[in-house]
Amino acid sequence: MRSTILGAVIAIFGLAAAHASDKPLTALDPGQIKAGRMVYEKHCAVCHGVRAEGATSWQQPDAQGELPAPPHDPEGHTWKHSDAMLYRIVMQGWRDPFNKTTRLTMPAFAGILSPQEVRAVIGYLKTLWRSEQQRFQREESRNQSFP
Amino acid sequence: MTAVKKICGVLLVSLLAVTEAAGAGNASPIVALGFEASTQTLIKVDTDALYRSDDEGRKWVRTPLPPSAKGHTLTVAVSGKGGALYLAGPGVGVLRSEDGGLSWLARNEGLPEGTVVALSVHADQPDTVYAVLSRQGIFRSEDGGASWRLMDKGPRKSIVQFVHSNMPGSMQTGWFFAATTKGVSRAMDCFCGWRDAGGLSGKVSAVSYDPSQPQHVYAASSEGLFLSVNGGEQWTKTLSPPAAIAALIVTPSGTLYAAAGDGKLYRSADRAKTWE
Repeated sequence: MRSTILGAVIAIFGLAAAHASDKPLTALDPGQIKAGRMVYEKHCAVCHGVRAEGATSWQQPDAQGELPAPPHDPEGHTWKHSDAMLYRIVMQGWRDPFNKTTRLTMPAFAGILSPQEVRAVIGYLKTLWRSEQQRFQREESRNQSFP
Repeated sequence: MTAVKKICGVLLVSLLAVTEAAGAGNASPIVALGFEASTQTLIKVDTDALYRSDDEGRKWVRTPLPPSAKGHTLTVAVSGKGGALYLAGPGVGVLRSEDGGLSWLARNEGLPEGTVVALSVHADQPDTVYAVLSRQGIFRSEDGGASWRLMDKGPRKSIVQFVHSNMPGSMQTGWFFAATTKGVSRAMDCFCGWRDAGGLSGKVSAVSYDPSQPQHVYAASSEGLFLSVNGGEQWTKTLSPPAAIAALIVTPSGTLYAAAGDGKLYRSADRAKTWE
């Protein structure tokens, strides 16, 4: 029952988030944000931190040439990216071309998270940003919205 | 800059266009190079004029810079696919020309007072332009300079010159390579953080990349000319022209041009193995 309710919440949020770039964040339902937070805590926090603070020394490549997971809070750069880019990176992952390994730097979540869950977790991240950062990100997303 | 905006807001029409031979060199040092891919035109700029050549630098057509930019120009950027020219420098702001430098319009909406030290046009998006202001950081315009927005503070080291590259692997659409006061810095154009590109440690005066092989990046410093074939991870010293390099440009066919501080322009068709 619980998962059914969560699924419904995420589905509703997905519809709302598709137009999030046009609306102030305060218009989002707290339940929708909560759904995104649950996704974050389950799948993202292990690398990006429980409080989205990122890995230690995230700006410096490690011994394998990989950049550690960045923060998603106001100190990071997630707020600079459009909805379309964030969605693509979560779904497809990304490999730093200067890695000394062949693995993805950011793992792909396609097949693990549904489109609605990806939109939900991005919606949750937006609540972590300062208002001017939220405004910046909305403008970046104006022509690059969620697919 | 406000006064300059007013002055440059009106059309600035140059009066003279003079053809001259290549070998003579410039009376004043070349400060910037560009290449207009759509017309296969090589462009060089000194403190007084802009020069265009459609025969690989054998002959040049000289067009005086607008009065406000004379003696103040630091950088030029060319929209390779769209043909627009951008000019910038201390007290000049950003100027745009759509007629090869005959006339210029101020493009400063959203740019604060300050010194624009470097300009670059997006490798694939003709209307996307980046400007580095020495104190504020990197601004982006997506409408050909009509409006600007602060995107990033830039690397910790001061940018001397920078270029946008369409080297693959970016989270977004490309990369920046910045010549800085201490080596070359590299960042994706999503502004996801700057990193040192390789081990160059001295002041780098110029940086450019090969559009036909974007992983090939050239950097000039007081120690000479360097080539990286892996996007700035490692650098190999190459043969350098016999003078300090102030600007570099690589054409889509791979020809490398180096502007020297003495006003001479050097050309290499074999990745800096030989120069003419």
